[in-house]
Amino acid sequence: MKQKSIRKGIGWGGKTLKDMCEEKERLHKQTGCYYGLNELPLMKENPLKLEVLASRLLAAVIAGRETTRMISASPLVRDVAELAVALYTPEGDCIIHSTGIVIHIPLIGQVVKWMIKQNYEHEEGINEGDSFTSNDNYIAGMHTPDVYDIMPIFWEGEVVGWVGNVIMEPELGALAPGCMPSGATERFVEGLRFSAEKTAVNDKHTKAFERRICLGCRMPDLLLLDRKGALACNIKVREEIKKIIKEFGVAYYMAGIRELIETERRAQLERVKRRTVPGKFHSPTTYEMYLTRTIAPPHHAIDNITLVPCDFYIKSDGTYYLDFDGAGSWHWHSSNTSPSAIMGAACLMLTQTIAYTGRANQGTFLAVKMNTPYDTFVNPSSPNVASGMFFSWPIMGGAIWLGQQSRAFFCRGFVEECRAPTPLGAGASGVSALAGRSHWGMDFGFQMMEAPGFFGGGAFAIRDGVLSDIIFLPESDMGNCEVWEMVLPLLWMGRRFVPNTCGWGRYRSGRSLMGTYMVYKTELLSLDTTSMAHCEKIGANSGMFGGYPGHGGFGKIVKNANTIELIVQRKPLAHGTGYPGVGDLEENIGGDLIVPLANAYVKGIFRHGDWFQGYMGTGGGMGDPIKRSLAAAKEDLDSGVISIDRCRSIYCVDARYDEKAEEWVIDEKETEELRGEKRKERLAKGIAAKEWWQRRRQDIIEGKLPPMLKEMYNDSLAKGKRWPGEFRGFWHLPEDFTFSF
Amino acid sequence: MPGISYPKEVIKDLVEGKLPWGQLKSIISGYKDDDRFDKYIEVLQEKVPWKEKILLPLSFDLYIVQKGTERIVKCGCGYEFGDYRENWKLKSLIHVRDSEEEVDELYPYPCKPDPEYCEIREHYCPGCGTQLEVDVVPFGYPLVFDFLPDLDSFYSEWLGKPLPQAKEFKDLTYELSRKWGEESRSR
Repeated sequence: MKQKSIRKGIGWGGKTLKDMCEEKERLHKQTGCYYGLNELPLMKENPLKLEVLASRLLAAVIAGRETTRMISASPLVRDVAELAVALYTPEGDCIIHSTGIVIHIPLIGQVVKWMIKQNYEHEEGINEGDSFTSNDNYIAGMHTPDVYDIMPIFWEGEVVGWVGNVIMEPELGALAPGCMPSGATERFVEGLRFSAEKTAVNDKHTKAFERRICLGCRMPDLLLLDRKGALACNIKVREEIKKIIKEFGVAYYMAGIRELIETERRAQLERVKRRTVPGKFHSPTTYEMYLTRTIAPPHHAIDNITLVPCDFYIKSDGTYYLDFDGAGSWHWHSSNTSPSAIMGAACLMLTQTIAYTGRANQGTFLAVKMNTPYDTFVNPSSPNVASGMFFSWPIMGGAIWLGQQSRAFFCRGFVEECRAPTPLGAGASGVSALAGRSHWGMDFGFQMMEAPGFFGGGAFAIRDGVLSDIIFLPESDMGNCEVWEMVLPLLWMGRRFVPNTCGWGRYRSGRSLMGTYMVYKTELLSLDTTSMAHCEKIGANSGMFGGYPGHGGFGKIVKNANTIELIVQRKPLAHGTGYPGVGDLEENIGGDLIVPLANAYVKGIFRHGDWFQGYMGTGGGMGDPIKRSLAAAKEDLDSGVISIDRCRSIYCVDARYDEKAEEWVIDEKETEELRGEKRKERLAKGIAAKEWWQRRRQDIIEGKLPPMLKEMYNDSLAKGKRWPGEFRGFWHLPEDFTFSF
Repeated sequence: MPGISYPKEVIKDLVEGKLPWGQLKSIISGYKDDDRFDKYIEVLQEKVPWKEKILLPLSFDLYIVQKGTERIVKCGCGYEFGDYRENWKLKSLIHVRDSEEEVDELYPYPCKPDPEYCEIREHYCPGCGTQLEVDVVPFGYPLVFDFLPDLDSFYSEWLGKPLPQAKEFKDLTYELSRKWGEESRSR
């Protein structure tokens, strides 16, 4: 008999990594427990020792993250902290992670799993000192600018784990402006792409990799130094893990990391059972894309709106289930999404709301399941589609999902954890991608990431929302103006609140800031409205319990501005905005005012002295606005959150301004009357749901909808299996109903 | 380790948004209390002017209550919306903001919902005029059923206190819309 040749693997115990993955899956399937761990012997025997192990691992990844920040030159890393670091098992399952852009934590692991499936072990080779780089969303990822650097950790010749680092890059050599351009429809114009490639050997980047970066993008110093920072981080974490293994013993380490995952899986199920209420939640989101406004190739230059209904179940076993049945088609633009991006969203949401113990890992994600129908917006069938904004659902639908989970917290009594969503519906704004010639006379492209720090988050169930609160970046930070000014040909002229833009309610959203910028020392600058989850026509459904959804984002630009003249004459410039219609950009600056549309390159070249303002919107309000406390309404008036006319019409609070005391004085009697009148007005103007239903049903039957909406509904009716029945059932329509044109 | 527990007065102040920040922060950051739900229900029950037992609050103003053998949605004012498995919005008063003036009141700057494409639906309680929910959805989207709780699993499996007269976990909204549709056809 011919003897089968047995090749020793590089995995733990001489197994191949592939065998380890298969064994893990098999045991999980058999028992429902991670790696078949029905029992937790280490936890049982000495829980404190396991706790110490976990703390040491956490400290290692946090130290690694700080190492990257010390080496990187990018403001996105140093100032805004758009990075994260995590530790993985040999099979690619997360054990522990740092804070930061944690949306990527499961996805880095998916890259490792892909490498194992692709047989890197025997083809590319995996050796001590190797590093692999990936930003290929076909493998796994959120969008191309988020670059992963992944390093194996060996112990006595066997892989005992991986360390992964993610950094967001402001420039990748893509179609201008270079990072996630609105004009990209295919992945081939999205700049440098690394498909889990070996980019370092013996702890040193290969020259080929360095040359490729230097020749492949507009600002190679930033990209290269970020890679050096990531490499240093990964080496530091790897060496720290080796020290920990030496101290605890490799057998304990390997058993311990598996127990940490299984412990967390059980803890997540238990947390859900103790803090929420099981049931079914529903919310739709829409994604507007206007490719005719940008420089997409003719066959992709199509405008459309895509519907993504989402049913979220909290099951009685404590698991979460997301069902995207009814999601419309994917299209040739960069803002579809993917199953991997949605799993990233799950990590992002859960680690900030329920699994926030610092122990979230693969065990947490095992408690989340989903249905992402193939060949739809949430699971595109072409590997060639652009992926610059695969996180469109996470930042829009994911935020709404968070609101649904909040309802469960509220019902259970954990009101302090309940909050209205803060979706990043970029509206017509996002004038935050720039390209051209810098004030240093160099070609540049840049995705400015100041805006996450500008957001006013959704209201809580017991207090107002706060500034600098956006779900996709747990440590939102707007960064230092002086640092941005070093990189970009702009002068920071103001960061100011914009009145009358909160999501109103008994508790209101946080206030958001608007940035005002003067173009500085360049004669060649282009602006792009970043291709995000646009809400130009349909707002994000972010209000809760009677609170209103927040305001959408917007931008304003003045081209051919008379700034130099104004400076010579020592006249006022622009620093923010006043009440509607009296913004100082419009009041003080002469030139051509442009209000940019969603998903569009802004026409023309901008030069020294031109201006732009960007505002990114607010989260939702919570509760009926006419139930806002009078003290809170007064504070809003005193601090300019709301103008008196809207205070009267939305809060139904009357007040007069005391010039001497320089404060508003609430008129309680008039307020009581206003509030009583508002209730009467509602009862008079509100129509019975049945009557409303009959009217709207007639509109639907008669097709009184804009063509884009009819296309949107027809698309979902064609794609879905369950949702079409619910749509037709709700409106009592024939089983084969579709909109005709 | 003994479970964490807070006095009912603390839960009451928490629910009403009256806790000082220091105390609130420690509750947010601390271990969660095991008896929260029971105390929460007690606090809410004392707040409402009616006697039916609250099974689950749905929002600031809406509650699922036990009424005889039925479980219905009830407003704090006493208005009753019907079976909790039917979207209560089907019994609400609805106003859609569809004029420029009404949209501008909420969204005065560029980037605002376009009433041709988007409905800003305000749902009011027919009993007291409280604004219970505001939905912003594509024109023609069915009324959003925010949350259908699986009450029996919750009470029996999670709380260990089964409710009498178990109900099927089923969305009954479509039965009502079918009834309305049949009524329209017969007219």
